[in-house]
Amino acid sequence: MKKTKKIFGALSLALLLGLIVGCGSGEDKNSTDSGNKGTTDLQKIKDAGVIKVGVKEDVPNFGYMNPDTNKNEGMEPDIARLIAKELTGSEENVEFVGVTAKTRGPLLDNGELDMVIATFTITDERKETYNFTTPYYKDEVGFLVRKADKFTDTASLDGKTIGVVQSATTKEAIEKQAKELGVTFKYQELGSYPELKTALTSKRIDAFSVDKSILTGYVDDSTEILKDGFSPQEYGIATKKANTELNDQLNKSIEKWEKDGTLEKIYKTWNLD
Amino acid sequence: MFIIANSGPFALYRWEALLKDWRLFGDAFLYTILLAVGSLIVAMLLGIFFGSLSAMHNKLLNLISRIYVEFFQNTPLLIQFIVVYYGFPLISPMLTFSTTTIAIICVGLYHGAYISEVVRSGIGAVPKGQFEAAYSQGFSYGKTMRYVVLPQAWRIMLPPLTNQIVNLIKNTSTVAIISGADVMFTANSWSSINLNYIPAFALAGFLYFILCFPLAKLARKLEENNKKAYTR
Repeated sequence: MKKTKKIFGALSLALLLGLIVGCGSGEDKNSTDSGNKGTTDLQKIKDAGVIKVGVKEDVPNFGYMNPDTNKNEGMEPDIARLIAKELTGSEENVEFVGVTAKTRGPLLDNGELDMVIATFTITDERKETYNFTTPYYKDEVGFLVRKADKFTDTASLDGKTIGVVQSATTKEAIEKQAKELGVTFKYQELGSYPELKTALTSKRIDAFSVDKSILTGYVDDSTEILKDGFSPQEYGIATKKANTELNDQLNKSIEKWEKDGTLEKIYKTWNLD
Repeated sequence: MFIIANSGPFALYRWEALLKDWRLFGDAFLYTILLAVGSLIVAMLLGIFFGSLSAMHNKLLNLISRIYVEFFQNTPLLIQFIVVYYGFPLISPMLTFSTTTIAIICVGLYHGAYISEVVRSGIGAVPKGQFEAAYSQGFSYGKTMRYVVLPQAWRIMLPPLTNQIVNLIKNTSTVAIISGADVMFTANSWSSINLNYIPAFALAGFLYFILCFPLAKLARKLEENNKKAYTR
């Protein structure tokens, strides 16, 4: 009995050491390859023949999972398909993964996604953690309110509770605007846009705030979008910090499509003008 | 190791940012403690009440207790939160409770069901002979419970009870889903702005650990003392 215990203890210790060493050497490989990592990643995508893209699935016209057809629809999946065609030759070689404002960053970091095109606003703070391409769309922050409350503009929401989604740039934008106007708000941070819409309907929040184009997907008979808009939001495609080659490639594609009107056509398809 | 120190999710500057904002997490920690204490009181009261109901020999009381326990044990806590937070105000504006109230009531009701089961089985584990001996000495039902049965049942209940308390403390983190400013929510919210998610969640886990571990140790000490009290 004592002997088996000793053997078991020794085996588990060896296994543990092996795991630690294995993970450690993995890190070393990363550090020595950091010079070539960019090329390797872009080449890896071309070799694999598939690009893994993170898109939103709950934003009509931008990135939406249609429950009837079970396909990703919207401006961003369309752009992703064009990119897949550029890199691998066919629009079908794209694997969509649904993301939220919360998960889009971490999934890039751990390598599950090659790129993220999910209403990701470019900010200087974020640029320290991810690569962003030149913007492919410009939008501004707005408010969705209940018609019955008869709010008129941002200042009329003084002292009210604003619902925002976690990880979005919305809260900072609103705080800046509030300071300029000399009003104060209370905030509720929830996890997703549908949750915020439900909270608005149950009167848990007085206004649901995010980029205006995202709001258009949630308007209904009892709600309206305030005319006020502020804080221009530029969306860019995000890639892992080390992946500079892919970033340059994507930059070139976006600039090309902006010039030749492909982006305009996509905007028109989804009523985003 | 050198890569970790300078950039990436484990970078040193992220941990420094955490240190700068410690007050945020301090407030959140106090809020979690508030929720934990509040829901613990609710859960213990409900648990003892419904537990003793089911230990009595009245079929109707047993049924009431059974309905309560089965309902709250078999539905997820998360769904209870969502129904009370989003659904109740739609039924009537009077049912709009604050986030803290919802957290304390929902977690208290949920764990009250589990604690009542612990109480019931604790009382049930005391040998029937104890009841009979007490009755033969002229004790009423109430006095039997108070002087003979419950002191013995308490010793049996202690391990599963502390298990439930630790679970309760961890379950207060569910309030994050309705935007309650506890440790879980603050870690989430703070890390989403500056993307320092590894330090934030590491700290959150650590805070929950230092909340639960002393309780578990205390419970084990009580258990040892109790054991000594009844054995010679």
